[in-house]
Amino acid sequence: MPENAKPAPAYLLGTDEKQKWMGDYFFAPRGLGFLEPGIVGLDDAKMSAYNVAKSSYQIHPEVFNMDYLSKAVGLGRDEIIQRMHRLYDEHLIVYVMNPAVSVYGWGLYYWLVKLREGTAPETKAKLAEWFQDKDDICTGYECKGDFDFFNGNHMRVIDNLLADVIEPWKNNPEVEYVHLCPIRRCLRESHINMFDFSGEGYREVVWGKDELAKLAKHQDKMDMLDLKILQALNAKRPMEEVFDFKVLSEISGLDPKEMLSGIKELVETKRIIVPLFHLNFMKLGLTNHVFVIRLFQNVPCCRKAQITDELSRIAEFNTIMEFSDSFYDIIAWAYNEVNDIKALKEKIYSYSEIEDVKEADMNRMFRRWVCRLDDQNGFWEECMFTDDFLQDRTEKNGVRCCHARKEGE
Amino acid sequence: MKIDAPRQYVIDNLKYALNPSSIAVVGASRYSSKVGYKVIEGLKNWGYKGTIYPVNPRANQIGGLRAYKTILDIPGPVDLVFVAVPAHLVKMVLEHAVTKKAKIVVIATSAFKEIGRVDLQDRLTQFCRDSRLPLIGPNLVGMGSPYLNFNCGFIPYLPIKGPVAMISQSGANLLAALGASKTTNFGMSFFVGLGNKADVDFSEFIVYAENDSNTKCLAIYLEGMDSPEAFIKACRSVVPKKPVVTIKVGGSQIGVKAAFAHTASENQGTSDDYFDKIFEQCGAIRATTWQEFLDISLALGMQPELKGDRIVMITNGGGSGLLSCDHFERCGVPMHELKVMSPNLGQRIRTYMPMFGSPLNPVDIAGTASPVQYKGALRQAMRDSNVDMVYCSICPTAVTDVPAVVDVAIEMYDTYKYLGKPFVMECQGGAECHEAIMKLRDHGIPAYPTPEQAVNAIVALRKYAKIKEKLAKR
Repeated sequence: MPENAKPAPAYLLGTDEKQKWMGDYFFAPRGLGFLEPGIVGLDDAKMSAYNVAKSSYQIHPEVFNMDYLSKAVGLGRDEIIQRMHRLYDEHLIVYVMNPAVSVYGWGLYYWLVKLREGTAPETKAKLAEWFQDKDDICTGYECKGDFDFFNGNHMRVIDNLLADVIEPWKNNPEVEYVHLCPIRRCLRESHINMFDFSGEGYREVVWGKDELAKLAKHQDKMDMLDLKILQALNAKRPMEEVFDFKVLSEISGLDPKEMLSGIKELVETKRIIVPLFHLNFMKLGLTNHVFVIRLFQNVPCCRKAQITDELSRIAEFNTIMEFSDSFYDIIAWAYNEVNDIKALKEKIYSYSEIEDVKEADMNRMFRRWVCRLDDQNGFWEECMFTDDFLQDRTEKNGVRCCHARKEGE
Repeated sequence: MKIDAPRQYVIDNLKYALNPSSIAVVGASRYSSKVGYKVIEGLKNWGYKGTIYPVNPRANQIGGLRAYKTILDIPGPVDLVFVAVPAHLVKMVLEHAVTKKAKIVVIATSAFKEIGRVDLQDRLTQFCRDSRLPLIGPNLVGMGSPYLNFNCGFIPYLPIKGPVAMISQSGANLLAALGASKTTNFGMSFFVGLGNKADVDFSEFIVYAENDSNTKCLAIYLEGMDSPEAFIKACRSVVPKKPVVTIKVGGSQIGVKAAFAHTASENQGTSDDYFDKIFEQCGAIRATTWQEFLDISLALGMQPELKGDRIVMITNGGGSGLLSCDHFERCGVPMHELKVMSPNLGQRIRTYMPMFGSPLNPVDIAGTASPVQYKGALRQAMRDSNVDMVYCSICPTAVTDVPAVVDVAIEMYDTYKYLGKPFVMECQGGAECHEAIMKLRDHGIPAYPTPEQAVNAIVALRKYAKIKEKLAKR
C-alpha cells in the first residue's frame, strides 16, 4: 500500500466498530457492492447452507430439520417429506431469501403504475407481458383498483431504473402515472418480520387471528397440517434447528460446522438475510389487497416510523414496508378472502396523519425475490438476479448483466 | 489427482465423452442466456442425434424436451452426464450418476481446487475412481468433434474437420482455436477441455487420440502436470505413429500463481527445464507461443515428417526468402545452397526464372513470376531425389496471379504427394493471400501468412522425424 494511502474502514455492520464510526458521522453507513466490509456475496461460503438447501429442497426436503418439524407439526418425518414434495410439485411454496437491501447497497425501488380509464384490456395485457419478461424486475404484480401494477427492482443507480425499466413505456398514451416508492424499511414480507421490524420481533412468523383456520377452509390444496408445516418451516428458531446440516453436508460434501457458523452469522448475528418459504397465495385462490398510504407531508419522519410500526402490529398484514422520498409512505397487504378488509381499512383511516390511501387487489404475479412465479409460462422458480452494479443502463446497447435476456428472446 | 499410467477403464469410456448415445444435462436451464440452456441448444443445433435428458428439479420442460428432477428419474440409460450446477450440488449428482451407471461424467462447474477446495475436489475424484466412473473436469468448457457433429458444452463454435486433436486445460484458449478454425481453416478431429483435470488425465486422452482414425496430430495445452510418468508412457506409445505438440504455460513467477488460480495447476518447484526434459523424454515437440503451437500442430497434422534437411524454397520475393533462411538458421536447421544439395537442380530451375532471378536457395524466381514459372520450378524441386522438401512462397506483386499460383501449387502437391515429401507454403500479403492460405489448407497444405510461421512449421516437421529416429533406436 502506498505510504499516503488510507486503509479501508475496519468497521463491520452490527458491531462496536460501527458504533465508533457513528461517533464521527451522523448517518449510518450503507453497503456498497459486495466489497462492503461485513457483507457477503450471494455465492460466498457463508451462504452455503442456504444455497445447498435452495438448490436441492425440491428433491430433498429433508435438508430442513425434520426432527424439529416433526415435533412442531406432530407428524412423522416421512409424512412431512411427502407433503413437502407435494407442496413444491404443485407450486404452492417456494424457498427464497430476502436480503437486507439497504445493507447490501442496492436500492429497492417499488413503483406503482396507473393506466388511464378506458385502457383496452389488450393494451394492459401487452404491458403486463413486458413486465413479466423484463428480468430486471425482481418483484411484480398486476392489480385491479386504484392502480394497475405494483412492481419493484433492486438497483443501485436510480437513473438505471428510470432509463432501462421505466423509460421504455412511461410515455405510452395509456399510462396515467408512475410513482416511485423507494424502500426505507422492510418490516414484514410473506408473514415474516424482517430486519427493520422494531423491537424483538425479527424473524417472527405472523398470521392474523384465525387466519390460518380460515385459509384451511377456504381452499382444498393445503390442509391445516400443510399450513402448520409452512408455519414451522418459517418459524423463528436457531439455524441448527432450521436445517439438517448432516443432510446438507451429504448433498454437498461441505463441512457442516462451517455451513452452520456461516449462516448463523448472516441470519442471526448480522441480520442481513432471511431465508423463507413464500406461500403462492394465488394458487390457493387468494388475492392480496394492497393499501398504499400517503401521509401528509408535514408529518415528521419519526411519527411516520411510529405509524408504520403500529400498523405492523396488525397481524393480518402479511407484508408491510415503509417508503422514503416518495409520494407514498407505507404499503400494507392483506388477503381479501380470509380477512376483514373493511376493518383493516377503518384502522388505517383512523390515523388523522393519513392524507390518502390507494387500494388495489393483486390478480397476477410476475416475480418475487428475483424468482419467477409464473408457472403458467413454465418458468416456476427460475431465478434471475440482474443487479446493475458497475453498469450504466442509460447508455443504449451498454454492458448488461450476462444472464439477462434480450428483449424478445 | 495423480495416476501412474493411463487407466484402461477410463480410456474405454472416453468414447462416451465424444460419441454418447444419451446425455443427461444436469443444471439445464429454461433461460436462453444461461449455460445450462446453451449446452442443450449447442447439442441440438450442431446436429447431435442421440437422446438429450435435461435435468432440473424446477422445470417440466426445457428447450422442448421433457425435464427430469434428477438423473435417477430418467427412464433410459445415460452414457454421459454433463454437469452445470453449482459446486455444492456436484457430490449429489455424482452419486446419482454412479447409481444410474452412467459411463462418464463431465463437470463444467467451477469453484473447486482452484479456489482452495482441495479436499472437496479430491474426495469427489476418489469417489469417482472407487466407482470406476471417469470424471472430466471440473472447471471446463466442454468437448466435441466435427466428425460426429458433436458439441457438448458452452461453446459457440464447432471447428471444421481436420487432423488435429486439441486437448486443452484452458477453455479460453480452446475457444480461441475453435473460433478461428473456420476463419483460418484449422481443422480438428476432436477437442476437449480438461479444466482442473481432477481425474481424467492428459495421458488418457492421448491414448484415446492414438486410436482415433481422424487424428493425425495431438495438440496439448498444459498448465500443470500431476502425472508425468503417465504422460511419458502415453506419449511414447503414440509418438511413433502420431506427433504430439505441447505448450506449457504457468512457468513465470506470477504465472505459477495464475495457473493455480485458473485450473488449480501446481507448478511450485518445477521449471521450464523440468518440462523440457519431460517433453524430450516422451518425444513431444514443445511450442513457446500460442501461434507457434497452432502453426506447427497444423503442419504436423497435414504433412509427413521431414526426413532430411535438404529444403528448397521457391519464392517470388527475395525478402521473404531472406527472412526464411535467417530464421531456419536461428532454429538450428540451416538451409543449404542448391548446388550443394543437387548439382543440376539450379540449372534446371533457371529455365523458369528471368535472368535477374537467383537459383541460390532460397530460389528467387522474381516478382514477375508467372504460374507457369512457379509450376516448372516446383516440379523440378519436387521431383529431385536430392530434395527432402519444398517450401513455396508467394508475394503478391501487381503481376502475380495469386489464385493461379495457388492452383498450380495444389496441382503439384497432389501430383507428387506419393513421394512422401512435406510441402509447406507461405503467402504474405492482403486479402488474396488470406484466401490463398484458406484454399491451400483446404487441400491439406499447411500455409502461413509470415515466413517465420512457415519456417517454424517446417522445423517441427524435421524435429518429428528426428524424434521418430531416436525412438526407433531405443
